[in-house]
Amino acid sequence: MGKADVWQGTLALMVLKTLEVLGPMHGYGIARRIEQTSGDLLSVNYGTLYPALLKLEQEGYISSEWGVSDNNRKAKFYKLTRAGRKQVEKETREWEQTTAIVARFLTPSEESQ
Amino acid sequence: MNRLRGLLMRFGGLFSRERRDRELAAELECHLEIHIADNLRAGMTPKEARRQALLKLGGVEQTKESYRQRRGLPSFERFVRNVRFGLRMLWRNPGFSTVAILTLALGIGANSAVFSAIDAILLRPLPFPNGDELMQISQYDPKIKTMQSFVAPVRLEDWKRMNSTFQELSGYYLEDLSEVSGSLPEKLTQALVAPRFLRVWGIAPALGRDFNPAEEHFGGPNAALISDALWHRRFGASPDVLGKKLRFDKWSYTIVGVMPASFAFPVEGVDFWSPSPTDAPYAQSRDATWFTVIGRLRPGVTVEQARSNLATVQAQLGKQYPKTDADLTVGIQPLKETIIGGVRSSFWLLFGSVTLLLLIACANVAALILARATQRQHEMSIRYSLGASAGAMVWQSLTEVFLIALAGSAAGLLVAGAAAKAFRTLAANLPRVEEIHLDARIVLYSLACSVVATLLCGLFPAFRTAHSSIWSSLAESSGTQVSTRNRTQWLLVGVQVALAVVLLTGAGLLLRSFQALGHVSPGFEPSHVLTFHISAAWGETTDMKVLTQRIDRILDGLTAVPGVEAAATSSVLPGTPQKFQTEVRFLEGPSDPNLRIVSEGRWVSPRYFAVTKIPLLAGQLCQEQLNGLDVLVNRSFADTYLSGSAVVGRHIQLLGQDLPAGHIRGIVGDAREAGLDHEPVPTMYWCLSAPTPDPFYLVRTQGPPAGLANAIRERIHQLEPSRSMFDVLPLQQHLDAAYSENRLRMILLDFFAATALSLACIGLYGTISYSVAVRQREIALRLALGATRHEIAARFLFHGLAVSCLGCVAGIGLAAALARSLSGMLYGVSPGDPLTLSAIVFAALLVTVVASLAPAIRASRVDPMVALRYE
Repeated sequence: MGKADVWQGTLALMVLKTLEVLGPMHGYGIARRIEQTSGDLLSVNYGTLYPALLKLEQEGYISSEWGVSDNNRKAKFYKLTRAGRKQVEKETREWEQTTAIVARFLTPSEESQ
Repeated sequence: MNRLRGLLMRFGGLFSRERRDRELAAELECHLEIHIADNLRAGMTPKEARRQALLKLGGVEQTKESYRQRRGLPSFERFVRNVRFGLRMLWRNPGFSTVAILTLALGIGANSAVFSAIDAILLRPLPFPNGDELMQISQYDPKIKTMQSFVAPVRLEDWKRMNSTFQELSGYYLEDLSEVSGSLPEKLTQALVAPRFLRVWGIAPALGRDFNPAEEHFGGPNAALISDALWHRRFGASPDVLGKKLRFDKWSYTIVGVMPASFAFPVEGVDFWSPSPTDAPYAQSRDATWFTVIGRLRPGVTVEQARSNLATVQAQLGKQYPKTDADLTVGIQPLKETIIGGVRSSFWLLFGSVTLLLLIACANVAALILARATQRQHEMSIRYSLGASAGAMVWQSLTEVFLIALAGSAAGLLVAGAAAKAFRTLAANLPRVEEIHLDARIVLYSLACSVVATLLCGLFPAFRTAHSSIWSSLAESSGTQVSTRNRTQWLLVGVQVALAVVLLTGAGLLLRSFQALGHVSPGFEPSHVLTFHISAAWGETTDMKVLTQRIDRILDGLTAVPGVEAAATSSVLPGTPQKFQTEVRFLEGPSDPNLRIVSEGRWVSPRYFAVTKIPLLAGQLCQEQLNGLDVLVNRSFADTYLSGSAVVGRHIQLLGQDLPAGHIRGIVGDAREAGLDHEPVPTMYWCLSAPTPDPFYLVRTQGPPAGLANAIRERIHQLEPSRSMFDVLPLQQHLDAAYSENRLRMILLDFFAATALSLACIGLYGTISYSVAVRQREIALRLALGATRHEIAARFLFHGLAVSCLGCVAGIGLAAALARSLSGMLYGVSPGDPLTLSAIVFAALLVTVVASLAPAIRASRVDPMVALRYE
């Protein structure tokens, strides 16, 4: 099995969660981090990452400003806003609920056996 | 919330694009650098590090593109682009744009104008808080046909006490008095109101206070609330009007408040309101009826519930007072219905007409767009080949049409604004006409019209264009010998003619009815009669003898004025649509208990027949005497109820009224008393000059009636210095005013029909001209092959006539199906009147010939060389 692309709709949650855990980061850092966390099973497409970041920023969940990276380069850093923190909580809850429901369908129940 | 924020930010993203582009480029650049640095750290060669990083980054341009899409609002940007392009196209074809915009302006404007009237008059609640809760309540006796809507004060109080569906019940009646503080008496219209009047309306005085309980009881102080108009006219809008007095002949009122300018109930022009106590001794008889009762329903109660509730209440009263109440029924009608009355059907008819007009305008513009689309086929083909999607092209076409429609509706609003004024001058006595004005609702309505118009006239051409561009190639030569027949365009022309014929039929029938009405012989002579009122109070009816003497004295005085031939009073103006049906019985002869004798009843003074010139056919006119009551009947009455037996000398008794029997003195000719469009019905004329304190005065003059007004006014002032004369108008003007709604309806419908016909004419002309233009080469070829010029011209002319004929047939069929909506508005003409229909077909064909002639002649003048030059 090759590297999977990030599924539609989950990228935003991954970005928000990454920023919540690690604090302000630039786009490249976020992408790398997501790939690492997935155990290199996922590959982040930059053509979708930057529009996704822009969407989150437009909706007020993250904010951005220019700063200097570890190796002294100018980079745009993204950080979570207060609304973003709430959104992480909300989306995590929803995601857990969804997976729990799907899991029920996938695990054979006792009655049906 | 966040989504909205996102949308706003994206809207912001439409601006300062370059800066944002640069920023993204910088971000991606730094992304790349960090990635390369990472790769280097991982031990790659600089070349490999760069290659891997670029590989991973993928298509930078694609990233930038999807980023840009996310940043702004692509669909909005596309819309703006379409609008810009559309404006450019409209600007480049000023002729096409002007015609299309004006056509739609006419269609949308007329539609919005009629809608503004419908909205103000029919749709909106009355201009009072929760106006839909207001009802008018009447008592009537179903056994006797007398439609007595007035209610006894004691009964009003009983209803108020016993019902459970009304928040408040009150009532009013009107009288015209003369205020005498000035040098000359001034006529003031007084509304005498039952207790709780203002609470029914939910309206407070603009200045001062409502009546207090003491003032609403018998024997309390005389108080008045005055109208805003009277406040301005007589008191210069001064705030210290409170406490001042209005003085009348024998009594006066203290002003306690001023009503807001918007409050004009029961009638426009009411000057002041004062309490009429329901506990007064003279108001205690259950037969003394004078209030028109109004009430406000409790919230959530339906009219039906209120009807059954009051029916129960009245049934209880019937048990309690069997003599007076057992036979009475209660009628409840929404106040709005009683105010707008019969204008509803007229307005829906007009609305139907303007909708047809709008459809014609749309068909016209659609044909124009189709014609132009054919010219633009080449452009469309190029755009299609360059990769425009069919959807994008449909949107583009629709945007262009929408721009036209929008401009049309803006211009249409000007039309509607002017029409609001026209309504007020054309039909000043239309109910609620002063409430018609342009507001946000009308603007929204005309916007909705423009969207509908866009879809109606844009959708089909747009799809056709998009569709045809798919198969038409750039390489297509325009060399086809015989051009396509443009079936759709001809269909649109046929539709226009058909719809115009429908409108013409309606207008023609109304016009003929109106003419027929003008030729009716009314049975009386309305010219040279001046009518007026003289102020009086209902209290004068307590002594009928004095009242009758007073009115007789006035009539004698009027007869003595030089130029006056005769003077009389009447309870109702002859020839105006008012009915007073009464039931009577004969005292002599065998009486058939199953035969009900129902007749119109009028109260007139003896000289009434000299004034109206209604001829005496048998017997004699009323005798001027006070003992006994004389009555004259008309010929229909004699023929219907007394045919074959002696008429003169019989005695008849009015049922349900406490009056002596009448002595039939004579038979007079039939007159259209109840309106010129009503056949004469059995009518009795009871000879009594003072049925009410203020009957209509009718004076026959030798010269023009208005010329005598001043002489008469002076004489009245000599006779009755404390009374004033008002509503001075020639009888003919009353008759005209009674039909002003008919006239308005007819004028507007004629105007719409004429517009429709001109639009159809323009459409026909445009289509034939266009057809001639595209078929030039074919015509040239035919000429070259030996066709005569006459044949060519005739070909186009007949084509136009054929389409027009089909349109006429369809239109007449449609009109026949719709004729039912005209029922009740026609007089003396049947919906299928052959003369009207043939005149309309003739007019339509004439217009067709006029519209086709010029292009047909142009076709016949084509130079055959054209055919050769094309090769």
